[in-house]
Amino acid sequence: MADRRRINGPPAGTRPPVYASLKESKTGVSERTLRQRQPTELRKFYLKTGMIPTASGSSYLEFAPSAALAAARSNPKSLIPPSSALKVACTVHGPKPLPRSVPFSPNLLLTTHVKFAPFAARKRKGHVRDTTERDLGVHLETALRGAIIAERWPKSGLDITLTIVEAEDDRWWGDAPDSHDASWGMLNVLAGCITAASAAIADAHIDCLDLVSGGVAALVSDDASTAPRLVLDVDPAEHRSIQSACVVAYMPARDEITELWLKGDSSRAALEKSDGRTGHEALIDGAVDAARGANTILTDAVRESIARSFAQV
Amino acid sequence: MASSATTGNPMPPSLSMPPSQFARLQPHAYLRAHLSPPSSDQPSVRANGRATSQFRVTSVNTGSLTHANGSAVVRIGDTTAVCGVRAELLHTSDISSWGVSQAPSKQNPTNTNEAKDSKSEDEDDQGQIQDLNLLVPNLSLSTGCAPGLTPGAPPSALAQSLSHQILSLLHTTNLVRADDLRIWYQPPNFDSEEFHNPGEGMEVDTEQSGGPEREIKAFWVLYIDIMILSMAGNAFDAAWASVLAALRDTKLPNAWWDDDNETILCSDDFAEAHRLTLRGLPIASSFCCFEGDAAAGWRANVIPDAEEQKKKKGSQQKWILADPDGYEEGLTQERACVVVDKENGKTIIVKMEKHGGWNVDSDDLRKLVDVSSQRWDDLKQALEQC
Amino acid sequence: MVSPILSQLNRPDGSAAYKCPATGYNILGAVNGPVELPARRDALKPEEATVEVFVKPGTTTAGVAERYVEGILRSVLGKVVLGREKGFPRRGVIITLAIAGGENMDRGDSYLTILPSLLHAALLSMISASVPLSMTFSAALFGVTKTGDIVRDPSPTAAKASVSLHVFAISSKGHLLLNESEGRFDFDTWELVHQRALSVCQGTASADGDVTMGEGAASASLHGLIREAVEDQIYSDYAYKLDSI
Repeated sequence: MADRRRINGPPAGTRPPVYASLKESKTGVSERTLRQRQPTELRKFYLKTGMIPTASGSSYLEFAPSAALAAARSNPKSLIPPSSALKVACTVHGPKPLPRSVPFSPNLLLTTHVKFAPFAARKRKGHVRDTTERDLGVHLETALRGAIIAERWPKSGLDITLTIVEAEDDRWWGDAPDSHDASWGMLNVLAGCITAASAAIADAHIDCLDLVSGGVAALVSDDASTAPRLVLDVDPAEHRSIQSACVVAYMPARDEITELWLKGDSSRAALEKSDGRTGHEALIDGAVDAARGANTILTDAVRESIARSFAQV
Repeated sequence: MASSATTGNPMPPSLSMPPSQFARLQPHAYLRAHLSPPSSDQPSVRANGRATSQFRVTSVNTGSLTHANGSAVVRIGDTTAVCGVRAELLHTSDISSWGVSQAPSKQNPTNTNEAKDSKSEDEDDQGQIQDLNLLVPNLSLSTGCAPGLTPGAPPSALAQSLSHQILSLLHTTNLVRADDLRIWYQPPNFDSEEFHNPGEGMEVDTEQSGGPEREIKAFWVLYIDIMILSMAGNAFDAAWASVLAALRDTKLPNAWWDDDNETILCSDDFAEAHRLTLRGLPIASSFCCFEGDAAAGWRANVIPDAEEQKKKKGSQQKWILADPDGYEEGLTQERACVVVDKENGKTIIVKMEKHGGWNVDSDDLRKLVDVSSQRWDDLKQALEQC
Repeated sequence: MVSPILSQLNRPDGSAAYKCPATGYNILGAVNGPVELPARRDALKPEEATVEVFVKPGTTTAGVAERYVEGILRSVLGKVVLGREKGFPRRGVIITLAIAGGENMDRGDSYLTILPSLLHAALLSMISASVPLSMTFSAALFGVTKTGDIVRDPSPTAAKASVSLHVFAISSKGHLLLNESEGRFDFDTWELVHQRALSVCQGTASADGDVTMGEGAASASLHGLIREAVEDQIYSDYAYKLDSI
């Protein structure tokens, strides 16, 4: 049954284009660009609040394009982008009275919606929210609920909407999905969503315990012989395979984690001999470090938001 | 606010309040007070500081999205629209009515380059684009762009009607050429020498005339998705401008029918990709009509005749506001939209609509067309700069 | 010309069947109002009636195009209904228009060809339901051919072939209530079509006296047709009174 509320494409469906030159490309894109950053070096990102004046609070987060992507943009050779850079727009509406149908609540009720734009990823996304998007929404809600002081707004609701204009890759585009493959890009998206939502909530002047920010760390193996090593802020397109990855939502002032999501097998980490930590401990510590790094940019963005609201008064 | 803190003062507290409060409590009177000029020789200024026929600052940015064939971000004041165009393939073998509806003789494209603006080709184009659903625009408002629109809900009536308006305008303006979307295939000439080596023979065959007829193997389908990230009035102008800019930015890869794999293959070479050649540059300008006396319909049920209304001079009764923001849209019911294009300096109206009231008459519409053609120049500049 | 039939249906407060002779569209309209809309409590306006329009295509379920045309009809009819009369504020006037016959609308079609029929059916249904109106109106479709001729009520095939299509709704007092034009045209052409629309709807000889002659004396103005339809209905409704006189 076609969706009567949208304009539909051809009834038989369409196929995404298949590129002929995956193996012997003339344009030289068939080589994976490897990670240039240090294992503990984070990607730069841009975070700005108040971009959407119709909302109570809003923010826009954009990751700096990787070197390969930046080169492909300035001097395009191939139509296949080497990697992607996360772009998230976040709006916060509220606190507002709950609709009549909702029963009494002594706390602020949080609703989170994460939606990918149809053109966000390599594969075209549908208009209806799929399980991935719902899953991200639930994780995000958990991450934020721990930071918001909800009892200050009884009988109220807060709508947080995130639009993913451009998502992260799950793997390098030329790789076939293998056995221990998962949607690694989703972890990066979640970390970005947490940071963006945190900025938007602060922009909407909602009381929080602390600014919560997201961070990702991963155990990656670039060749099969060596044990996987720990890198912070992983870009899945830059690695041959990711063994395990972890995203946290972290509040630095209180040293608290509000959300933790760990995927994959973290038992075979290549750590220093003196390091007594297990693989997953190292992974979580790495993710927390990444979140700390993101927090500095978040703090600047929020400071700017406050300066703007003071200027208005 | 002045308070009566000075003890013993019998004066009541002052009734002054900041303009922002006034704007919320008495929106109609607030806008009217702004628009009524202090003296008759001064022009009206709107609450947002613009002149009545002034548009908001418009910025266009294209090609910033990695995974779209063409993309654009258009900001008109506080309204932001992001448009991404994704191209996918529709094989003619997937079209159930293909063999029936298409006579092979009709598909001869030899005259496309010479007779680009001939009406018959236009019609043929439109027929194929429309019948096969090759353009699929969808607008989404559920991005939290405005407080009233619940995110995650199915498209509201407004979103649906905006999507339809965009599709309808794409069809009536014939903006996209069907020939840009066709993927042709020249079957190898099996009588000729190259029969044993069809892969190499293909390019040679295209030059020959005696072989089998060229046929369409597939079409590009353009999924045009518009996300309104921020909605502060006049969503249609922003959405249409973003569609136009994204289509101008769209690059389709070079694609061909591969006889061995029986599928369409594309080249990822940027140099081989082609841009769409659009027909004209239709640009939309929206207006709303603010009635000075909102209570007129409340008090008097008798509405004067159109002729009488025209003769009645005196205090101004209506203001036509270009590019209304969200506040102004909430205070007006009458809307007008003019889509114009220019050809050799001559203004051509592509679409004109007005409804929701009776204050805008044909004289006003003539002025709106002039304003729209000025807007065309401004927006063309913005589109070409990016 | 087939005269419209008023108050054909028993259940709704008012109804009308309108068949456009030229385009062949057959519209069945039904109006309920004023009615309580408990489900829409948040959307109801405190001072006036809420006008809701539903358009049901004959062969499929309603889609995006219907949402669009409903929006246009709502804004035109909402202005004409005296929604501040006693009993109307905080209530709804619900207009349902079913397209019972005629060409099907394709995906992305502009709906211009059917718009006059929908407007007429809606107006007559509202009159049948005794909804107070500030004015009546009539609407007409015009096509401009390649040679620049203005054709009134072109058939769907002729409408497809025309360079531009125009729909005008002119109120009984001469206001321009609605204009929808598309195609390629300049303002002078539009003005000509507008003049023609005024003469077709009002039936008065405009500056160009020939136009009214060209329509033929037999086919009266559209306003006249609407009026006749209502008069006929009143005559038959009160036939018992007339007989007793």
